[in-house]
Amino acid sequence: LTHLDFLSPDLAAPDAVWRSPLERALAHAPDGIADVSRTGVLEVRGDLSGLDGDGCEVVRLTAERALVLCDWQRVRNTHAKLRQQFRVTDLSAGWAGLSLRGEAVLRRLTDLDPAALPAVGAVAHVQALVLRDDEETFRLFFPQEYGHYVAEVVVDAMKGMGAS
Amino acid sequence: VTGFEGDSIASALFGEGQRIFSRSFKYHRPRGLLCCRGACPNCMVRVDGVPNVRSCVTPLREGQRVEAQNVWGSLDFDFLSVTDKFGGPFTPVGFYYRTMIRPRRAWPLYEKFLRSVAGLGKVDEHRGRTQRYDVEHRRAEVLVIGGGRAGLEAARRHAAEGRHAVLVDPDPDGEEPGVELVRGTAIGIYEGGLVPVDSGTVLYRFRAERVVVAAGGIEQPLVFPGNDLVGVMLPSAVRRLVGRWSLKPGTRAVVVSADDRGLDTAALLERAGTQVAGAIDLRASRVRQIAAKGRGGRLHSVELDGRKVDCDLLVTSGGRQPAYALLAHAGGRVEYDHARGIFVPTELPKNVEAVGAAAGELGEAAVPAATYNGAAKGGKCFVCICEDVTDKDIKRAIAEGFDSIELAKRYTTVTMGPCQGKLCHLPSIRLYARENETDEASIGTTTARQPWQPVELGLLAGRAQEPAQRTSIHHRHKELGARMMWTGSWRRPHSYGDPGAEAKNVHDSLGVIDVSTLGKLVVGGPDAAAFLERLYPNRFGDMKPGRIRYGVLGSDAGRIMDDGTIARLADDDYYVTTTSTGAGAVLEWFEWWNAVWGMEVRIVNVTGAVAAVNVAGPNARELMTRLTDLDVSNEAFGYLDAKHAQVVGVPALILRIGFVGELGYEIHFPSPYGEHLWDAVLEQGAELGAQPFGLEPQRILRLEKMHILIGQDTDSESNAFEASMPWIVKLDKEDFVGKWSLEHVQERGFREQLVGFEMANGVVPPEGGQIVVGGRPGGRVTSSRWSAQLGKAIGMAWVPPDLAEDGAEIAIKVDGGVEKARVRLRAFFDPDGEHLRS
Repeated sequence: LTHLDFLSPDLAAPDAVWRSPLERALAHAPDGIADVSRTGVLEVRGDLSGLDGDGCEVVRLTAERALVLCDWQRVRNTHAKLRQQFRVTDLSAGWAGLSLRGEAVLRRLTDLDPAALPAVGAVAHVQALVLRDDEETFRLFFPQEYGHYVAEVVVDAMKGMGAS
Repeated sequence: VTGFEGDSIASALFGEGQRIFSRSFKYHRPRGLLCCRGACPNCMVRVDGVPNVRSCVTPLREGQRVEAQNVWGSLDFDFLSVTDKFGGPFTPVGFYYRTMIRPRRAWPLYEKFLRSVAGLGKVDEHRGRTQRYDVEHRRAEVLVIGGGRAGLEAARRHAAEGRHAVLVDPDPDGEEPGVELVRGTAIGIYEGGLVPVDSGTVLYRFRAERVVVAAGGIEQPLVFPGNDLVGVMLPSAVRRLVGRWSLKPGTRAVVVSADDRGLDTAALLERAGTQVAGAIDLRASRVRQIAAKGRGGRLHSVELDGRKVDCDLLVTSGGRQPAYALLAHAGGRVEYDHARGIFVPTELPKNVEAVGAAAGELGEAAVPAATYNGAAKGGKCFVCICEDVTDKDIKRAIAEGFDSIELAKRYTTVTMGPCQGKLCHLPSIRLYARENETDEASIGTTTARQPWQPVELGLLAGRAQEPAQRTSIHHRHKELGARMMWTGSWRRPHSYGDPGAEAKNVHDSLGVIDVSTLGKLVVGGPDAAAFLERLYPNRFGDMKPGRIRYGVLGSDAGRIMDDGTIARLADDDYYVTTTSTGAGAVLEWFEWWNAVWGMEVRIVNVTGAVAAVNVAGPNARELMTRLTDLDVSNEAFGYLDAKHAQVVGVPALILRIGFVGELGYEIHFPSPYGEHLWDAVLEQGAELGAQPFGLEPQRILRLEKMHILIGQDTDSESNAFEASMPWIVKLDKEDFVGKWSLEHVQERGFREQLVGFEMANGVVPPEGGQIVVGGRPGGRVTSSRWSAQLGKAIGMAWVPPDLAEDGAEIAIKVDGGVEKARVRLRAFFDPDGEHLRS
């Protein structure tokens, strides 16, 4: 193990049990919400002018800081490639994520402008990254330690709009 | 009550013959429908347990329970109306500042009485949450407030120019192509074009690039004796009763109005079958005295300059005042127009527009007199019907020296009632101007504040949301029966049932604690070592990779901010832990200094990404051999070493440290494997006596070692020298944050010192308790616990420096008495650290 490998959940043995922080809160969730916490999240720092994300989704947070979101299986390779050019920290274990259908529900969770995503802002008072996949589908990423709380709020908001 | 579709509660009641709807705030006078458009307080009732519901704008629903409020007795006979008949001399304006003060011992009785009669409506404390309220964030290029003719035209205009226009109105009509209609009431305008809209159960928080205020004008009442009698109405009430609900407002009416809108109600009334005994146009007829007369609080006649006219309906209007409050919220300027006798908006922010009556586009109207009571002696003459403020109250306030309208507002409470000044702002300023022999422009306006319309507190509160941080092992703690507690916004186990036994198990065999809440930062880059050297008072540049050092973070003033361990993982990478609640502040502090110094350092917060479990106790090493292939012998993995290894298949950083005083390993690993690792630790440690322990036993254990807790044993004034940690301050370093201040502390000498103490008689003193020196307060206890391991009550305290001697006797205040204790300067348990290093 190298000195920052303890941050990388994908280096665990196959029999190590990975659990999502949203698992219990979403156990009886209505349709239209899905747990996407098992997403590779790499924080990239440096001069990002040459950053292409190796085919992964790149979210630029500042001129010198970006998140690269990728499939769990690709984290290792992507990490290795990016590390050649940038300072990269594997934060996959630090973020929880959920996918959500319905702009109206999103409007009850955040004051971010759905027409100006991706963006970072408060979702139910927790700093979150919000992305738009299509007209009605959104992904929310937030610190995993708030995951259970955020999931509860999202489920509650959906139920408040009639979802069951 | 029987009603029709489209009825409001008030219209249904009125149709059934109900005329008294409420009792007034102070005098408990009967009150009937006045405005019928949700502006006044007269129709407020309690509906299904919710107080202060404006029944004139609340739709009638099957099964509603409607009750009168602010009544002692019934609407027809209210016992507290005695204050109207006899209380006048005893309850003048501001009486509550001057009366019921003496005798002081009677205050509880006064208070009980005042609380029972004060306020409007009663909240049922035991009712709980009965209604779901939500908040929804919306955006609009143009938000039009008010769906009258002017508002609709503005919305159409903006929509035609290709903008997303939203029109907000309590009762929008049909559909409007290109315009989104939202049913609701704007309750204010805030910075950044934020307009909250009350739609009943959802609060829409609109962010609008441009706001158009088309809130219309507000018909102003005239001020004359008896102007609050049941049967005295504003034209709006007549229009809605007749036009909307086909109700006949009265049998015989008199209309007195300053404008055409008021006078037009005469024709409306005649069509409804009401006999109109007279219609007075104040523009043409110079009336000096109006006096409404009634019986049982209900109008039966009106005297106009002494001429009596029998009537049960008196429609009065002093013309309209532009509804400018929303414009004022937005920063608009309002000035008095002498010619028209109204306040009009003059300058508006560039993203705010006013149209129609709200902009001052009103028809020709007379400027009414401040009052119409002339020289005649009549009944009460209300300037503010919400708060029962009469013209006499205003005059008295002026006589008492409240010569500014802002002061008078606070003293008399005029404009501070449910109408928020809609019906009393202009009349009170007119009266103020007249009594001060000046003009209204000189008096000026009071500050318009949100909310512009009454709003339910539940709606403002929205859903109950309390962000909680949970470790990835949280649910396991609950399954183990942990009593959870808050530390900052973290949920942590206080204990699993018996804190003393949990602490003892750490000493005797093996304890396991979830320390994932620790703040964790990776500080990397070529300047990382130099960066930490500048931030901390001790050294980090000379550490070898794989070593750990304790650090106390100080402010510029040398005060202790936080503490934690710093592990050097590689030449350019350090792993910094902070206190559980200090992570955010430390991260900010680091980033701020990094920005100032411009060093090549990157700071990444990995607090949530990394879970951590501490295993501590004599059996900890044996457990580690079962969890990992790593050589954990003392020779290979010594105290304050950091090593990488797979622990039960999970990549981990293992820190050999010991906050709780026993041989211990802190395992840091990716959070999603929290339960996996925790389960494995307890399972494989079962025969070694592994038991979880919570925060409370941890506090006992750390106190035995005299390890400080930031914020508990220190405060915003504490520095490392006086906190008895001089060994951590390296004044021979070139520079570090707070160095100058610590040098100064050393030069001036200590003023107090943090020490340990043992109680002589085993009594545990209260945390925060006084250290008594010469009969006076000389210090304070910061931590105290009973240590079963030591069989003693121990603690830490700030004491004067001359008492900071090992064995010195100190006195501590306990339960009103004074108990003796001995000062200890070394750890109570294992002072030489043999257990830690074993």
